[in-house]
Amino acid sequence: MAEQFASKRNIRFMLYEVFNAEELTQYEFYQDHSRETFDMIIDTIWKMGVDFLYPLYQELDKNPPQFVDGQAKVHPATRQFMRMCGEGGWINANWSYEDGGQQVPLLITFVNSLIMAAANCGLSGFPALTTGAANLILNFGSQELKDLYLEKMVSGEWQGTMALTEPDAGSSLADIKTTAVDTGEGYYKIKGQKIFISAGDTDATDNTIHLMLAKIEGAPPGVRGISLFVVPKYRYAKDGSLERNDIWCTGIEHKMGFKGSPICTLVMGENNDCHGYLVGEPHMGLSYMFQMMNEARIGVGIAAVGKATAAYYDALEYTKQRLQGRKPSQKDPTTPQVPLIEHADIRRMLLFQRAVCEGGLSLALQLSKYVDLAKVGVEPEKHELLVDFLVPIVKTFPSEYGILSTSAAMQCLGGYGYCQDFPVEQHFRDIRIDPIHEGTSGIQAQDLLGRKATMKNGAAYRLFMEEVKRTIAEAVEIPELKPQAEALAKGLEVMDDVTAYLLNVRKEKGPEEFLADANLYLEMTGLLAIGWQWLLQGIVAYRALQNQPSEGDTKFYRGKLVTMKYFFTYELPKANTLAHVMKTSQGLTANMDISLFDEE
Amino acid sequence: MKIAVCVKQTFDTEAKIVLKDGKISGDGINLIINPYDEVAVEEAIRIKEKQGGEVVVVCAGGDRATEAIRQALAMGADRGVHIKVNDPDVDEYARAVMLAEVLKEQGADLILCGHVAADDGSSQVPTRVAEILGLPHANVVTKLELGDGKAVCTREVDGGMEVMEVALPAVITCQVSLNEPRYPSMKGIMQAKKKPIANVDAVAVESKAKIIELALPAAKQAGKKIEGEPEDTGKQLAEWLLNEVKVEVKQ
Ligand SMILES: Cc1cc2nc3c(=O)[nH]c(=O)nc-3n(C[C@H](O)[C@H](O)[C@H](O)COP(=O)(O)OP(=O)(O)OC[C@H]3O[C@@H](n4cnc5c(N)ncnc54)[C@H](O)[C@@H]3O)c2cc1C
Ligand SMILES: Cc1cc2nc3c(=O)[nH]c(=O)nc-3n(C[C@H](O)[C@H](O)[C@H](O)COP(=O)(O)OP(=O)(O)OC[C@H]3O[C@@H](n4cnc5c(N)ncnc54)[C@H](O)[C@@H]3O)c2cc1C
Repeated sequence: MAEQFASKRNIRFMLYEVFNAEELTQYEFYQDHSRETFDMIIDTIWKMGVDFLYPLYQELDKNPPQFVDGQAKVHPATRQFMRMCGEGGWINANWSYEDGGQQVPLLITFVNSLIMAAANCGLSGFPALTTGAANLILNFGSQELKDLYLEKMVSGEWQGTMALTEPDAGSSLADIKTTAVDTGEGYYKIKGQKIFISAGDTDATDNTIHLMLAKIEGAPPGVRGISLFVVPKYRYAKDGSLERNDIWCTGIEHKMGFKGSPICTLVMGENNDCHGYLVGEPHMGLSYMFQMMNEARIGVGIAAVGKATAAYYDALEYTKQRLQGRKPSQKDPTTPQVPLIEHADIRRMLLFQRAVCEGGLSLALQLSKYVDLAKVGVEPEKHELLVDFLVPIVKTFPSEYGILSTSAAMQCLGGYGYCQDFPVEQHFRDIRIDPIHEGTSGIQAQDLLGRKATMKNGAAYRLFMEEVKRTIAEAVEIPELKPQAEALAKGLEVMDDVTAYLLNVRKEKGPEEFLADANLYLEMTGLLAIGWQWLLQGIVAYRALQNQPSEGDTKFYRGKLVTMKYFFTYELPKANTLAHVMKTSQGLTANMDISLFDEE
Repeated sequence: MKIAVCVKQTFDTEAKIVLKDGKISGDGINLIINPYDEVAVEEAIRIKEKQGGEVVVVCAGGDRATEAIRQALAMGADRGVHIKVNDPDVDEYARAVMLAEVLKEQGADLILCGHVAADDGSSQVPTRVAEILGLPHANVVTKLELGDGKAVCTREVDGGMEVMEVALPAVITCQVSLNEPRYPSMKGIMQAKKKPIANVDAVAVESKAKIIELALPAAKQAGKKIEGEPEDTGKQLAEWLLNEVKVEVKQ
């Protein structure tokens, strides 16, 4: 296990040199903050990562949760960590002072998420889920719900969950079957089944509060008939004491990775006594969920970056130490073997990892800043549209390319990478969930091409283009960055061209063919968005190098420029191929006869 | 009870030390509270939480020392005193004189310190402070119980424990097993910004010792590889151990 799981230097670069985090403190909401508080926050989480989370990373994988006495028995550190996060105020750090938070920008708390996920993704899920669930109650719940549940959730005493998925409704939430019947007594009776619910019932906390989707009897079909409920494991009785609700965990899954965090099957209303409390208005459930989903999806992207980053540092440390082979120019077999990092192919793989990790982090922090600005009323419409457009990308690119990145880390370690002596194989298994949960890549792709690219007459799409073009315009003035700036500008032209082509397909051939290659469209856009972020980093690094930085900093900035060049040379050109495929596939998949898969 | 805690700012224990012109280069190096002093801060806060009082953090150091003080304030200390020391090479004697001067003024009922600094490891300062102030002193304490005007300290000694009693005020140094320091909370961090830090100049005092040279540990020696048939390699290894490593063999 490498000593390092993330880079503080890179965090400083991203926050203070690229995204100018201190700029946020000029707005009233963040005015009590300063670089000093940001640093103290990050130092604290870093310390937690080094002393507490990282040493437990492999242990949680080797001792996965067990289903005991009707609940998931998790590693005891989970309870400790939830309390640590609760007492530290980390679960609701973003909230306003009135709501009990400390008005911390997302830009900072997402760096916390990065550190936690890199150090121990299994544990980091528990407080993050609670934050998501508590956010829903805070934003859409009645005062009574807030008073009854929030305090215990943000203190880490009660776990929050997102209970959406059912056996017949994963990607297609419109098809959920869980029902809710209004009793007229301030609660609904819930009946149904949920599956795959993370932290759905564990011994890490004394109660579990589900934010659950269900259909009120007689609701319209489809997404407009879904409502959101608070369904606690222990509910408040009339006298204010807690009593068991009729919701039961009937088992947990055995997963490939991400083992610290169990997923539970839940059965509600077996005894016709499962109480649920409506959040907000009836039939608005999915809309509430989606308003909170953006942050959750940035969170998945960040978590994927974290895991890939930890794997990268394992590969880096290993390839510096392991002696294997000689350089092609070294013909004499009696000369000593060289460290792996001497081989160009190893450097290629390391640069790939660095490009994915640091590019992905950059995009995620870019979005976080947009959210922070929108929240305090700085061009909210613009920033919200940008977030809407980029969310499927920031969720998917780090997830999908992160898998390739951890795979490259494994490749760097050779046979040891495949074995349990090093944690790289665990990172590889752990990251595999990210393109699946919180909306699969396929669903994100349809969201991007089918909705986001055309929403508000293409306004979000145009804003994205404008942002990228602004960076290009700056970079073009710097001779050293001109080739990359021009390549990215060409990439945008390709994107315009293929988008127009696909919109025409929609008109002429219908939605099936239009969306058939949505995943390719998402990957192409992802490559361009990451290229944009690398160009942005390149500008900052280039300028910093002009001011005679220290030796260490000089290396850091030069490393940034090399990685940027790697991305533009090796990765960005794939966007052209993807565009070419989209323009020539001619509905090959959409129109194929599925019986052709039959071999009998 | 008024408790003063002496805190030193040291390089992050994970930091890679680089020498530049014979001095440790501070470039991009993270600074932290000496981990042993952090235990002292934690102990002081716990005492305050139990029986009330005030925790004052005293730190002698350069400009960045306020970061260490703020961290202790974020953990829960009440206020800080930053003794400005511009010369990083002041010796333990001078440091102790500077601290003692301020501590005398503060008039604390209890002075807590870490038992050693993670950077230079000299373990001198608290003992010197106790001597200068004429206070009782207990070192490397693993358990601390406060009574009426006295403290009962459990210390690690070779092969066992020693329990000793000192009258307060006293200077007590903490071992890591005394407690597990808390992480600063979000609220603590925000409050730390508003807690007062007094800046005072250090009293003029000459160091008695001077650092002549700093050097990094020698790079790891390459291992020795012995090749050949087992009976041969065994012999070679034995010879190497006897003649080069010079292992003493007791007959
Ligand atoms: C570790 C883990 C944690 C989870 N945590 C939670 C949680 O806390 N709460 C919760 O509610 N759920 C959770 N889930 C469930 C998760 O959100 C779903 O697994 C996910 O949404 C996919 O649904 P599904 O498994 O039913 O797959 P399906 O919907 O059956 O999808 C299978 C494949 O078909 C594709 N597909 C599906 N529909 C379409 C379509 N219309 N067009 C094109 N392609 C399509 C998908 O992209 C995917 O590739 C978790 C799952 C796992 C594995
Ligand atoms: C499940 C499993 C089964 C196995 N079964 C057998 C078996 O039955 N018999 C057997 O003899 N071995 C077996 N092996 C060993 C396997 O063949 C080696 O792991 C493999 O050859 C790689 O060697 P390595 O692990 O030492 O990695 P390394 O050689 O250290 O390679 C690490 C990385 O460095 C790269 N690299 C190394 N040298 C160079 C170079 N000169 N130029 C550029 N890049 C370089 C590699 O491509 C790789 O990406 C097995 C391994 C595993 C994991």
